Amino acid sequence: MTVWQPTDDGFADLTSHDSFIDGAPHNTFARLRREAPLVWTDWTDGEGFWSVTRHADILELNRNFKVMSSARGIRMEDQTYEEYLARRTFQETDPPEHMQTRIKVAKAFSKPVIAQFEDQIRDLCVDILDQALSDEEFDATKAIARQLPMRMLGRILGTPDEDLEWLVEKGDALIANTDPDFTEHVLDKMDTDEFRLLPFNSPAGAELYVYARDLMARKQAAGDTSGVLNLILQPGPDGSVISETEFRNFFCLLVAAGNDTTRYSIAAGIQAMCHQPELLDTLRSDDIWQTAADEIIRWASPAMYFRRTALDDLEMHGQTIRKGDKVLLWFVSGNRDDEAFDDPFRVNLARHPNRHLAFGQGGPHVCLGMWLARLEVRVLFEELVRRVKSIEPAGPHKFLRSNFVGGLKSLPVRVSLN
Amino acid sequence: MAKITWKQADGSAIEAEVADGTSLMEAAVANSVPGVIGECGGCLSCATCHVYVDETWLDKIGLADEFEDAMLDVAEAERREASRLSCQITASPALDGLVVHVPEV
Repeated sequence: MTVWQPTDDGFADLTSHDSFIDGAPHNTFARLRREAPLVWTDWTDGEGFWSVTRHADILELNRNFKVMSSARGIRMEDQTYEEYLARRTFQETDPPEHMQTRIKVAKAFSKPVIAQFEDQIRDLCVDILDQALSDEEFDATKAIARQLPMRMLGRILGTPDEDLEWLVEKGDALIANTDPDFTEHVLDKMDTDEFRLLPFNSPAGAELYVYARDLMARKQAAGDTSGVLNLILQPGPDGSVISETEFRNFFCLLVAAGNDTTRYSIAAGIQAMCHQPELLDTLRSDDIWQTAADEIIRWASPAMYFRRTALDDLEMHGQTIRKGDKVLLWFVSGNRDDEAFDDPFRVNLARHPNRHLAFGQGGPHVCLGMWLARLEVRVLFEELVRRVKSIEPAGPHKFLRSNFVGGLKSLPVRVSLN
Repeated sequence: MAKITWKQADGSAIEAEVADGTSLMEAAVANSVPGVIGECGGCLSCATCHVYVDETWLDKIGLADEFEDAMLDVAEAERREASRLSCQITASPALDGLVVHVPEV
């Protein structure tokens, strides 16, 4: 079995979600890094944009938040100011405003606080794997990768387990809003602007709004003031509180972003073990658990890009990014840059240092949930290799139709147990 | 320029000449100082560049501002009086000879 290889012709249209249905078009990103590291793309469905594909350039621009603003939208699609205000979370703000909100939940997602979840995560993993591995063949995304972040989300939000399938279905409809398997309202094929003021331009946002309102009412009635949902409602250091709209958007963000990225990291890790069987032996024999999770997450790079908007002119590679231009930081490309990583198309679980960008490292918006994601990935694979002797593909896999979130929505595998 | 020393809990140390205006986090990453990571690039979003300023230098370095103070609560290692996020300390001739201690985690 060979390592997964990109199949694009090197000239994929980055504006088309269909360019990503066989995985990220890595031949295109490799060509861009080599020949056109800062490149302009015209777009028929909106304003054109710059793409930044080299690791070093992404780091340089990501930290320059005074020029590279998140407060005009963070996806390729354009938003009116009205839509921006209706749909934003602190992800779509710049420092210092960003910090006023982030600081309220930073401790709850900090490494030492998240570390306390390890036993709980392990119990969930044991439960999930006992069930999944009772079959010889199964879809590893559905049976394993989807399960763990979904059940942890319930612990983080304080929601009943029986609500989780519904919540995650709605979260998928939001973040996978370009894939017909996850939503009837496919973003680039919609003929209505009815949902433009809802998170991710999706009617699922309205359903999650109602759920969040009812959940908070139930918590209030029970006198329960614990958890991140209550923390985010506290005043920030300057006394500011977030609006009700922003609270509900934060809830949608947790349900959507807190789920799919870890799911697709786990799925990519399992697929890597199909293609590089030696990884299973490495995990069993070596003490590489301090580095393995980050390498799996680099390999997966589920959040493929985030967008910034230039607040001033900026020179790079002999070209001028003009004030007002959209700039896409392609983290998925930076994570395969051979200037930054030795043999980037191989999974090396002992890779250290591993300065990958899958969490948007190097800027103020670095993933709030990164310690939780790392812990979930590590514990899941610890428990998996304890049980599984070998794992191989049992049919064609399918990637999500999205140029924003990259991941295996189905991954049929066959396993043999220890 | 300032000569900066990072001391580890095991007694080992790394020394470097750091250019004026460079943060101690950036200098630590450039010199592969174990335990100083700087995930957010110095934007006060992660607390992975936490150090303890040597007590002989505390007066000269000064205190954390409001956001840094709040983020120090997020750091992995125990917070002490000498705790600072090293992305918020910038090298200058006045800091020549500064010693910081990397927390053990």
